[in-house]
Amino acid sequence: MPSIPIIMPQLGESIAEASIINFLVKPGDIVEAGQDLIEVETNKANMNVTSPCRGRVAKITAQLNESYTVGAVLGQIEATQEEVVLAGLDIPTPTKSCDTDHIHAPDVNGGKSRVQPTIRGLPVPANAAGASYLSPRLKARMNELGLHAADLAGVAGSGAAGRVTVEDFERFIAHLEKQKITPASSMRVAVADAMRRSWTRPIAHVGLPVCLEPLFAYRKAARPKPGPALFTLRALAVALAENSAPAGRLVGNKIVHPSAIDIAFAVEAEDGVLVPVIRHADKRSLKELVGPYDELVELARQRKLPPDATGGSIATVTNFGTFGLVWATPIPLPEQSLVLGIGAARRTPSWDAGKGQFVPVMEANLTLSFDHRVIDGGAAGRLLQRVAALMSKPELL
Amino acid sequence: MSITYLEAIREAQAHALRDDPRVFIYGQDVGAFGGAFKATKNLAKEFPGRVIDSPISEDAMVGLAVGAAIEGMRPIIEMQFADFSTVGFNQIVNQAATLFWRTQVPCPITVRLPFGGTSGSGPFHSQSLEAIYAHYPGLVVMTPATVDDAYSMLLEAVAIDDPVIFCEHKFLYYHLKAEKLPSEALPVGKARIAREGRDLTIVAYSAMVHEALEAATELAPEGWEVEVVDLRSVKPLDTDTVMASVARTGRLLCVGEAWPWGGVTAEVIARVTSEGFGLLDVPPQRLNAKDTPVPYHPNLWTAHRPTARAVAAAARKLLRL
Repeated sequence: MPSIPIIMPQLGESIAEASIINFLVKPGDIVEAGQDLIEVETNKANMNVTSPCRGRVAKITAQLNESYTVGAVLGQIEATQEEVVLAGLDIPTPTKSCDTDHIHAPDVNGGKSRVQPTIRGLPVPANAAGASYLSPRLKARMNELGLHAADLAGVAGSGAAGRVTVEDFERFIAHLEKQKITPASSMRVAVADAMRRSWTRPIAHVGLPVCLEPLFAYRKAARPKPGPALFTLRALAVALAENSAPAGRLVGNKIVHPSAIDIAFAVEAEDGVLVPVIRHADKRSLKELVGPYDELVELARQRKLPPDATGGSIATVTNFGTFGLVWATPIPLPEQSLVLGIGAARRTPSWDAGKGQFVPVMEANLTLSFDHRVIDGGAAGRLLQRVAALMSKPELL
Repeated sequence: MSITYLEAIREAQAHALRDDPRVFIYGQDVGAFGGAFKATKNLAKEFPGRVIDSPISEDAMVGLAVGAAIEGMRPIIEMQFADFSTVGFNQIVNQAATLFWRTQVPCPITVRLPFGGTSGSGPFHSQSLEAIYAHYPGLVVMTPATVDDAYSMLLEAVAIDDPVIFCEHKFLYYHLKAEKLPSEALPVGKARIAREGRDLTIVAYSAMVHEALEAATELAPEGWEVEVVDLRSVKPLDTDTVMASVARTGRLLCVGEAWPWGGVTAEVIARVTSEGFGLLDVPPQRLNAKDTPVPYHPNLWTAHRPTARAVAAAARKLLRL
């Protein structure tokens, strides 16, 4: 009587293996064609392996809780010649055996461990899908549609090593077209483009709480009154004027140093962010900067920034505290190496050694995001410490 | 009525002899004997004095033909086997191919090369030399894959003013049959879509077209639609048709019975990658005979040349990339 193998079926796209979680039949059972035999678990769902034909379960070779690749033999069914023909099956020549196919097999009998390749059969590990390799055709097609590699992040590739094939891509596009689609504003696209280009670099972050009491005290008396973002901006300008190296850019094997301490600051505008620039922020005092700063904020909100008020800056300051946030990891502009952030001011307990007790102080977090190719944590930390120190003496700014 | 590839070649020669008094056939045993493969059967009787036995010297055969062409004749040379044409190589590539360029006198000769492997033929009676001749400027190299093309392209070969290397595949001589002779044909230099598909382009010519078509049939139940392009002539090479096909499919497999080093398959891939890089979704592949002399033993020979099985296996690899 012919023996028909029970085979781990292809359970879905990009699924290369599944583990056995339950046997629904035992050797000797009579089963119908299509009857559920073995329950398996994939990284997506639980599914059943069904009987290829009517017959008697001769043996189950698969082990509970073991993982098997698609195509692996899990057991055998004895069937009559007629049943085999009825099911349209070939009489198999045994090719794979359970022993060589299952993954991470603990040798329960011998006790000696064997080295097993992680994946047999399909060349694609199920969890390695993604747009790791773009074929020339796919690149050309994406250029045609104005897409970038980042746009493929949500596409599980069906090609070798999980690459996204042109067919996958076209299916993805067709699928998108079924959903609500609105055009992104040019501001949105510009921000997306800048962030995508910036993200090609290794960006790291450091942070530090800074006491704002001196700043608030100074602000009370000051005319005109500078906001926290401008304080931070001026402090950064002074710190960078002392040592501009951290704001340099790495191009090839050269560091390009800043030619002027021009500092940008982020202003939220409709559907995006604008970054006007204060030129030579190191050369003018805090007091002198308030007027130009307020003017630039207003122009930015009206989206009427003159061309010379944007671009060419060496670092950016962003006050994410205006959103009530205490911590953030902003991304520097692609042409900059630094972005300094300041969080929302909060009253927090601070240990006063003189009084021997906690006292309430106004505090905010300063964060510095930097291109780790240009500076390291130490240099970033020193720069941030220097900014915090400058902010503690606002009358000198 | 049915007509074989070999009979179509005989009929084309009869047609040419009948239509044009400048045409004559020259070759070893082409006269009363009717040629090694009977491609000139009865032609000597039908056209007395115009189907002439040559000495056993390919050099002399081609040399005579070049001289006759200069005098205004349109000779057809039959090589017994393509392999032996290398004895007349100098006359073909140095004299015939360059004649017009040197003297503005055309050289309308047709050299018929019975080529390609058949079971048990071994290294001296199986070679595919289309790539070598295609290398030379001044030569046209035709590689018909069908009875229709064997007939119409041979007539075309005799009619055009350039020297033509007419590669007729011995494996197709008796196997390939058509109902009748064609009444119309594609122009020379134009490839043919032998089968339409959208998943993979297989470019082939001569006998390999049939292996490719069989492979496409084998792959169809697996859900793959394979397009087969028959180049028809390897020089001129119809890059446009190949490129248009690859634009549809994104995948390219070139199949040739000649050896892998250089050659037609390499040329096709070079052109597609340099002019159509953005069309390719997978690296283009080629499948050729093994890089050894052609073996005698039938089993070895089957392993040596690309078969439908081998083409299908190579195609599957590409389709799964």
